[in-house]
Amino acid sequence: MARFQALTNTVLDAELEMLRKRLGLERSQKAEFLREIASLAAWVVQQTEQGREIQARDGRSVEPLVHPALERVRARKARPLGKALELSDREVERLTAVLERPFNPPAGLRAALASLANAGRHPPKLRWKKAVAA
Amino acid sequence: MPVRIEALEPSHRPLLMGFQNQHPSLCEYLKRYALRHATKDLLARTFVAIDDAPTGPRLAGYFSLATVSVDRAAAEKHPDLTRLPRFPIPGVLLARLAVDARVQGQGLGRYLFEEALGLTLQLAKAGPVAFRLLVTDAIDATAARFYERHGLVRLSDEYPCRMVLDLRPILEPFRARD
Repeated sequence: MARFQALTNTVLDAELEMLRKRLGLERSQKAEFLREIASLAAWVVQQTEQGREIQARDGRSVEPLVHPALERVRARKARPLGKALELSDREVERLTAVLERPFNPPAGLRAALASLANAGRHPPKLRWKKAVAA
Repeated sequence: MPVRIEALEPSHRPLLMGFQNQHPSLCEYLKRYALRHATKDLLARTFVAIDDAPTGPRLAGYFSLATVSVDRAAAEKHPDLTRLPRFPIPGVLLARLAVDARVQGQGLGRYLFEEALGLTLQLAKAGPVAFRLLVTDAIDATAARFYERHGLVRLSDEYPCRMVLDLRPILEPFRARD
């Protein structure tokens, strides 16, 4: 807790203090307070990870929850791991050239490499069959 | 929503128990060990394929990556590898790759292999370490045929399940410089 306090500035401390009061918690309940806001934040992040948008509604007035942290969550989810292998145009050319040279990979590997170099690569759509007997 | 690949983390725990596969060891690893190995023991990192089905997210498959070193003497059948010094040959181990039995035959295994290969190549291309091989241990004859189609070859008679892919030819375009 001391480390937590050392890392926060006065303004943040004041904001947290106000939030603690609004949540009806005592000064001595700092651990409960942190647990509760962590739980609330985790729910918000989980909804965002599942592609849902959080909105505050009051009659016709609708206000979506917008925050840079949620944008980061969305960006992370939208970026398939395969995209991590980012090839420059020159590297794609070289890879293509290698595939044509004596290195003669089997069709499966050739297809896998070609797929990885394809910006439009996407996972298969799955159809779930009924439970399989163990 | 399509399938997404994510590094296994505690928030996936509720999805682990529903995974089904014909090899009990692949289910057990996911349910009992994968998270611990990834977060506490640091033995392997597991990546999961999450399918956002209308009934809720489901874990459709996974693969685990670790490091490995291959006995240089066991690589005598591979001419390119016998030119290497007589030290253990470093590699990335595709420790496990499994698809839920209810979605097999739809290309997810191939997609997961591509993801594993892509991560391995990315590490080899831009990471701070060097290694030569992608290594796996085929769990049965079907798995061995799958890996053979993707260019992996059996290491030796002494290690009949162990299969390796020499990454050097694939990395050639990244090693060359303008």
